[in-house]
Amino acid sequence: MPQLDLDTLGRRFGAVQALDGVSLTLRSGEVHALMGENGAGKSTLIRILAGLDRPDTGAMRLDGNSLPLANPVAMRAAGLRFIHQELHAVRGLSVAENMHLDRPYPRRAGLVHWRKLNADAAAALARLGLDRLDPRRPMTDLGAGDQMLVRIAGTLVGEAGAAPWLYVMDEPTAALTTAESERLFEVIGELVRQGAGVLYVSHRMPEVLRLAHRVTVLRDGKHVSTRPMAETGQDRIIEEMTGRSLSGLFPERRSDILGETILEVHGLSAGALRSADFDLRAGEILGVAGVSGSGRGALLRAILGELRARAGEVRLDGRALIGGPAQAWARGLAYVPRERRSEGLMLGRAITENVALPHLGPLARAGLFLDPRRQAGLAEEQGRRVRLKAASLTQACEELSGGNQQKVLFARALAGGPRVLLLDEPTRGVDIGARFEIYRLIRQLSDEGLGVVMASSDLPELLGLSDRVAVMRDGRLAEIVTAEGLSEAGLLQRFYHQDGRENAA
Amino acid sequence: MTLRKTLIGFAAAAGMAAPLSAQEVAVITPYLAQPGTQFYVDGFSARAEELGWDVNVIDTAGDVAAVISRIEDVVTQGVDAIVINVDPAQIGAGLSVAADAGIPVVGMDAGSDPLVAVNVTSNGYAMAVETSVYVANRIGGEGNVVMFTFDPFPPVQVRGVIADAVFGNYPDIEVIDRITPDVSDGGIADSRAQMEALLAANPEPGSISAVWAAWDQPAIGALQAIQAAGREGEGIVITGIDANPQAREAIASGGNFEASVAQDFEQIGATTADSVARILSGADIVQRVVYVPTRLITAANADE
Amino acid sequence: MTGIIRRFGGLAGMLAVVLFFAINLPETFLTARNWLNISQQVSMLAVVAATMTVVMVMGDFDLSVGSMASLAGVVAAVLFVQEVSIPVAILAALGVGLLGGLFNGVMVSLVGILPFVATLATLTVFSGIAFVVSDGRTIFGRDIPAAFGDFARGGPQIGMVDERALILPNLTLVAVVVIVLIWIVLEQTSYGRRLYAIGGNSEAARLAGLPVMWLRLSAFAFTGVGAALAGLMYASRVASANPTQGDGLMLTAIAAVFLGMTLTRDGQPRVLATLAGVLVLGVLDNGLTQMRVDSYVREVLVGAIILIAVGLSALGRRGLTRRA
Repeated sequence: MPQLDLDTLGRRFGAVQALDGVSLTLRSGEVHALMGENGAGKSTLIRILAGLDRPDTGAMRLDGNSLPLANPVAMRAAGLRFIHQELHAVRGLSVAENMHLDRPYPRRAGLVHWRKLNADAAAALARLGLDRLDPRRPMTDLGAGDQMLVRIAGTLVGEAGAAPWLYVMDEPTAALTTAESERLFEVIGELVRQGAGVLYVSHRMPEVLRLAHRVTVLRDGKHVSTRPMAETGQDRIIEEMTGRSLSGLFPERRSDILGETILEVHGLSAGALRSADFDLRAGEILGVAGVSGSGRGALLRAILGELRARAGEVRLDGRALIGGPAQAWARGLAYVPRERRSEGLMLGRAITENVALPHLGPLARAGLFLDPRRQAGLAEEQGRRVRLKAASLTQACEELSGGNQQKVLFARALAGGPRVLLLDEPTRGVDIGARFEIYRLIRQLSDEGLGVVMASSDLPELLGLSDRVAVMRDGRLAEIVTAEGLSEAGLLQRFYHQDGRENAA
Repeated sequence: MTLRKTLIGFAAAAGMAAPLSAQEVAVITPYLAQPGTQFYVDGFSARAEELGWDVNVIDTAGDVAAVISRIEDVVTQGVDAIVINVDPAQIGAGLSVAADAGIPVVGMDAGSDPLVAVNVTSNGYAMAVETSVYVANRIGGEGNVVMFTFDPFPPVQVRGVIADAVFGNYPDIEVIDRITPDVSDGGIADSRAQMEALLAANPEPGSISAVWAAWDQPAIGALQAIQAAGREGEGIVITGIDANPQAREAIASGGNFEASVAQDFEQIGATTADSVARILSGADIVQRVVYVPTRLITAANADE
Repeated sequence: MTGIIRRFGGLAGMLAVVLFFAINLPETFLTARNWLNISQQVSMLAVVAATMTVVMVMGDFDLSVGSMASLAGVVAAVLFVQEVSIPVAILAALGVGLLGGLFNGVMVSLVGILPFVATLATLTVFSGIAFVVSDGRTIFGRDIPAAFGDFARGGPQIGMVDERALILPNLTLVAVVVIVLIWIVLEQTSYGRRLYAIGGNSEAARLAGLPVMWLRLSAFAFTGVGAALAGLMYASRVASANPTQGDGLMLTAIAAVFLGMTLTRDGQPRVLATLAGVLVLGVLDNGLTQMRVDSYVREVLVGAIILIAVGLSALGRRGLTRRA
């Protein structure tokens, strides 16, 4: 039973003490959750574990023997494996080849021994109960979830002897659907049953509560606590992470009086979306739920007009929207996309520019010439509204935390004075503190009378924030249920209501 | 291909007057984009039209290996004759394919080769005779002459040989320098520099009577040097060969640059067509090189 | 359905081209002699395109292959003038290719210059050296040993047709050897699979601990040597060398790889697909010449066909992502 001891690890970057005397014991056969807000020191700890960074103080010991620091090869030899949130799959290669990326291919007479390559991969997949995955399939054919499982299985290829025993998983479910996450959890269970340990880093509280045997909380680079799961819980963890007690993650609504109907969607079909109907009232938050591929995102993009409608219509304030995204923005629809990095932000550019981007026309002097001062004014005003934390508005967005990047997108969406806000996964990859602020912001906006349509894969946030939840199944808006009194299990069941089995997406 | 050949064979055997179909001739050149080549092809095509041939002009845009490939293609296609406008030494592989298939290849200012039935071109020796004799006569058979030659390139080298012989035949003409200019930028700049040095070395008026250049660029360089030195009044006679547009302009303006020799590109093309016609009619070809007359260009006819 | 069109549309298009010529040139097109001709005509392009595939697999490309081909031919020819023996001259020219390729690799991989910029610069450098080495002249005639020029004209005889020997051209054999070699390297060795990994996701390759820098650097050696070999084949075919004769190979080779990519399942460069691309270009030149299509119209047609093939493939791909 191997055991890895981290002893008073410290690491300073300039003026910032990123890690401050953290001690921790990682054991095989258990899932150890590592919690903390962004900047708490999780990433620094992981980099040190991976041998990518050298601690200023402290030591690491495997079963009592010191390990060399800042030596990735040694950490690998010590049996550590790292599963990152970004998927690092090579899509053009086969599953088996992806499993051999970091090890030599089996060879015969100097050439690749394909049969053995595939057999080795199949054996490793079988050890995790993943027999359904054909090692010869191209990686492209697999969903993000299966790609991650393939990567985990890849660590088991041909290592019967010196098997890896500690998996460090950094936000593994960030890109996965609910169903895919389920399969990952099964595999984690299987790994632990076979004696491996897992250091599990995630922002998603329900996952941690469900998987972890022990929980370590870091705050401001310091070790706060390590407790068995039985002795802790959501409230305590959040309290320890934030250093303050949060009376519930979701702010209460101040008034439950909803206004006029502002958005009407009738028989809307576009892309994967088939015939969706609903009305949205001013001040209402409509959650959009469903497994990935059920049409959550498509619904938002269809309302915006980015997916061209095959049938049906969208009415804003009683008038049909027909001119695509440009008209939608102009009429008062605002959209915060899911992929902040690829769809939303110009990462290398200043906050000001990012906020002003869709509003350059109205901001320009004489309708033609860019006016940086007006842009800055807009960014400042909206930045305050969303409580953006940045050193300066000229800072590039790539320097901001995930939560603040999201706030930049909110600021951009709000700058046009919208009537309806379309949010796609508003808290994806955002730490708990920023998440709380985003929830507060959404609530505040709805209290101000905005209508909000929020697609999310996070069940607590759907239930905690929405007035009603629209459940998507196979591209159809299957039903709309009142959020109050609905349990997570109850909502999850509705995802699969009709056929009782999960979507294979 | 074989079928048509056979039919033509039958037709000939049966003594029929005309072949069953028009003769097909392919003209293959890597240099169609160059102005001179266009004149050859125009001359050829005009005559071919009179003869009722099907002419396929193929340009390979500077790619000599592609000339071989296209020869192979038209041999497969079964043309009756092939006309080339590229050095036969570079396309030997294509020539042997054509020879194996019994298809005659005619050169249009291409160069001589055992596998080229006839090459139609201008007579380089004759062109040099025209200008060197012009120089000798203009200076009255006496004086100092500067020669610009380029022996590494065979077609130019033959011109120098002739000029050497002509000037050597006049006891009072002395060749004071025989310069091979650096041609990497066309030859004008270096010729001018060399000429300037010579002028500096021979400062007295009349110490240089004439400049004979084996092609136009050195002649133009020499003219520029003379003008730059302010010695255009000394009556130094300059001649070139090829009569390119810049040379014609200089000649027409009536300065020191007095004469050059023009090839008749269109006539080369037309004569090539005539040669093809003779071969196709079964005539026995003895004269493997056919020369097309050239023309001395002076101020009198430079504008034409 | 779109999947099927995407997967086999390109192949069907290529067969359509062949069928078109077979119908319009019934007597000559589908003959062994013509196909041997085509194989010889495309042999140099095939060598350049196959080795180009090696770097394109990684998402890089090499613009300097054309001028490297010219340079290698000129180097060999200049050595012939110095009365160096044929094998030594050939080895020297291939050595120049190897050095040039490695230099490209160093610039792209170690120094980190974009392949487009780095190889555009070396294109000029190699071309300039070729002019310097040759003095800007065409080296031909007696300077080129007869055996060197004869190589491209010869080959084992494999039959007689119409009383003329049917020869399997030496150049074709060289190209076949190169293609088989590249196929083995890319498809059957870990080295090649690593290159595909870099092309698929260089970040993943780096994180998996692959020596990405060394792999990229070394892959450029293939294009360098391939280009030099093609330059020698060219020089042998025209029994001469001048400092620009190989320049046209570069664009055509890249076009051939792109054409080939339209045939593969996920748009990856593969050497056999590249070969198909090369053959299509060769067949078009051969067939259109035989059909007496004007040379300039021929160029327009070839360009249009490349656009159509790559365009259809892109549309097919977009259709797929739309559905996903």
